[in-house]
Amino acid sequence: MKTIIEARNVKNERVDDVHFELMEGTLTTIIGPSGSGKSSLLMLLNRLEDPDEGEIYIKSKKIDQYPISELRRDIGMVFQQAHLFDGTVEDNLKFGPRLKKQWSKKMGSELLEKVQLPVDILTKDVSHLSGGEQQRVAFARTLANDPEVLLLDEVTSALDMRTVEWMEKLLHRLVDEEGKTILMITHDLKQAERLGSYTLFMNEGRLEEQGETSELFRHPNSNALKKFIEA
Amino acid sequence: MTNISNLSLLTMILFVMIPVSLSYLYSLGIGKSAIWSSLRGVIQLFLIGYILTFLFSIPDWQGIGLWVAVMLVIASLQASRRGKGIPYAFLLSLSSLILIEVFVLSLWIVFDIIPFRSEQVIPMSGMIIGNSMVAAGLAFERMKNEFQSNQGKVLAALSLGANASQASQMIIRKTIRAAMIPNVDRLKTIGLVQLPGMMTGLILGGASPIQAIRYQIVISISVFSTVSICAMIISLVTYRFFFNKNMQLQTIEGGND
Repeated sequence: MKTIIEARNVKNERVDDVHFELMEGTLTTIIGPSGSGKSSLLMLLNRLEDPDEGEIYIKSKKIDQYPISELRRDIGMVFQQAHLFDGTVEDNLKFGPRLKKQWSKKMGSELLEKVQLPVDILTKDVSHLSGGEQQRVAFARTLANDPEVLLLDEVTSALDMRTVEWMEKLLHRLVDEEGKTILMITHDLKQAERLGSYTLFMNEGRLEEQGETSELFRHPNSNALKKFIEA
Repeated sequence: MTNISNLSLLTMILFVMIPVSLSYLYSLGIGKSAIWSSLRGVIQLFLIGYILTFLFSIPDWQGIGLWVAVMLVIASLQASRRGKGIPYAFLLSLSSLILIEVFVLSLWIVFDIIPFRSEQVIPMSGMIIGNSMVAAGLAFERMKNEFQSNQGKVLAALSLGANASQASQMIIRKTIRAAMIPNVDRLKTIGLVQLPGMMTGLILGGASPIQAIRYQIVISISVFSTVSICAMIISLVTYRFFFNKNMQLQTIEGGND
């Protein structure tokens, strides 16, 4: 397996000396208390923020050597809230592809199928969608760019159990069948165990521990992780 | 036109006394400021009256040049106060207002709508600059508020590969729309709900209603266009200040007035 993302001693206001590698075609989870810098780390990898110190490499090339828009398309991000744009579902889905003039009606139905939403929803105004539907549309909107890496910021936190189950299956499919690499923040430790083989634990901006998920949960080294697991 | 005597003007104090008495009666605490505002308004208007008399007595190009310049600076200062935290807000307001004034004045003169005379150009320019000043101030304020309340959407757009301009489209559209809507509504009801100020002034001054309407059409359409242009310029220039060179969203410090 090849390294797709590497962070070396990355530091900014909310992240402190973070060092890790992300392997191609894997699903890695990030856990940690609120305000521990998890979301900031994802923002750094999508270049929505830049580190004050340290370096980030994407496929062995420094992150700032890629054209920013291209990089953001290839390292897609889905936020905790859907943040849909005003207009219809189609307006949202075609936002990314249209920037590169690559949109076709067919893509819309394929994307909706992928996130298990009916095709007739395409012309619906996003304000009429339920919270779960909005989150799926946001997910499909990011998938529309066909990114190699997906950065997911607690995307299942507002979903009901059935939708969570469906989402987890989709994530597995994206990794196993499409070879995507996923880095996902979750507050649910059971979900981290179900989903990822590898987990990063962040605390107070630092990447306190990382390792095989089941091993990490069974034998936590730091007091902070022990406390976090017990909580 | 009937001359309003000083004595008649003094009787207007009775009108001011009504809100002042109400303020004391209901402990509104605005009695002093009502008196002060009225007094200040009267002094300001008298002063402007004398200034205009002077301006109308000197050659037109001097009178117009001098007073339009004063109006532009004051309006830009006022508009830029609402853009606190936005870089170059004063310069941006000033250049937008100059551009608009030059554009409208040229149109009026070239198409022989009004003559290049202080009596005509100064009051009409005042209306254009005043309305554009309000539009510029609102555009600054709206941009700041919209970027703050739509931060998530802008970040989502950037994360999908949009550049700063593409990620700001929804905010720019909302800002321009917000500046245009009151003017569209005003145009729809013009003359039906209340007679516009300029038309009222001309009729009071003895002009025929048809003549007054012609002037009102010129000024209403000019105001409508310039307000829209002003909001457009401010939004299209200002959005850039909300991003750094790496297309990352940055917060603009400085609250609204």
